[in-house]
Amino acid sequence: MTAHDELLDNVAAYALGMLPPSEASAVAEHLKSCEECREEYRLLRPAITAVAYSAEACDDPSSGATSASPLLKTRIMKEVRAQAAVRKRTQSWPAFAVAAAALALAIFSGLLNLSLNARLSRDRAESAAAAQTIADLTAKDIRRHPFAGGEVLTRDEHLYIAMHDLPQPPAGHVYQAWTLAKGAKAMAPSVTFSPTGGVAVVRLPQDAALQAAVAVSLEPEGGSRQPTTKPIALVRI
Amino acid sequence: MEDAAGLMERVRARDADAFELLYDRYHRLVYGVALRMLADPLAAEDVTQAVFLKLWSAPALFREGNFGAWIARVARNRAFDVLRSRSSQGEPQLGDELSAADALEDTALARIDAERVREALAQLPPDQREAIELGFFGGATHEQIARQTGLPLGTVKTRIRTGLRRLRGTLESVVTV
Repeated sequence: MTAHDELLDNVAAYALGMLPPSEASAVAEHLKSCEECREEYRLLRPAITAVAYSAEACDDPSSGATSASPLLKTRIMKEVRAQAAVRKRTQSWPAFAVAAAALALAIFSGLLNLSLNARLSRDRAESAAAAQTIADLTAKDIRRHPFAGGEVLTRDEHLYIAMHDLPQPPAGHVYQAWTLAKGAKAMAPSVTFSPTGGVAVVRLPQDAALQAAVAVSLEPEGGSRQPTTKPIALVRI
Repeated sequence: MEDAAGLMERVRARDADAFELLYDRYHRLVYGVALRMLADPLAAEDVTQAVFLKLWSAPALFREGNFGAWIARVARNRAFDVLRSRSSQGEPQLGDELSAADALEDTALARIDAERVREALAQLPPDQREAIELGFFGGATHEQIARQTGLPLGTVKTRIRTGLRRLRGTLESVVTV
């Protein structure tokens, strides 16, 4: 048996999820550079899914794989429907998004009154951007792509990410948005931001129509060129 | 019938009816994996509840591909948590999130049926089947299996790979891919 045959055996154990973490990491790394092992992995994965399906319970007691109690479904659905109802009552994305944008507009308006002439044109541009945000977020044709903890919103070429219950980033860190352009293989860095009162509504400069996905990760202050932490949100649009 | 990916889109929009359809379609798989691993119906129900509530609270964990493959993996991981707490020893675990490549690969043999898989597994030589089942459902590492069976480590690994390839071949002959 060659050394590479041994690696192929390790790929099978890796695909089955039975390697200790250190060995699993080594195989995952090897898969990135070895087409033969990747092909083996692709070949074996469905067989492993099939192994899982071999345990699927059925309602025929003679199979020895009986089903869960119907009461289990009752319990789960009771909780899910209760949460869905609360969500419906408090569904306030437009309200909170508009409030956040309106707050921004108020701040910028205040700045307009106080600013020096040299800042006037910049502040007007920011004020116009805030007004545009309000117009977008309240438009009937805005498209929503919800995820746990927020929504990605698109309208024409405009692209926003809105998040709630977002903790303040640790000192020296910020949240950073990422975009995956259609046909691209890697995420591109977008804006960095921090939440206010747990809420963030951020306009991304990228053209929404050209993007396939948006992600958010926690990054060192100043942002990163590539994500350095696991994304806390990843949304296909 | 609406596919699982479409139902998950609706779950992301907090549609409880879509969630219920997914539960009806996949709870047997989740419960079956947990029951096989834990041999305890009540613990398997707890795992099933945890998996589906996780699905509801974090639907973004599933992105694309074979939903059954993904939720079976999540069920296996949660059942491992229980096994770990029982034995207080670490076992290997797969991540809950499928990489995009994993997800696409798993769409092959998507229309598999438990009874046919059981028949295909039964056709494997017993030593290969046992090694695969111990690894997947027992949470055993190849080293643990080698110790239990007294076989060289390389032999255990080869049995697993040979068995998985043979299983894949048997399933391809009976399932429309």
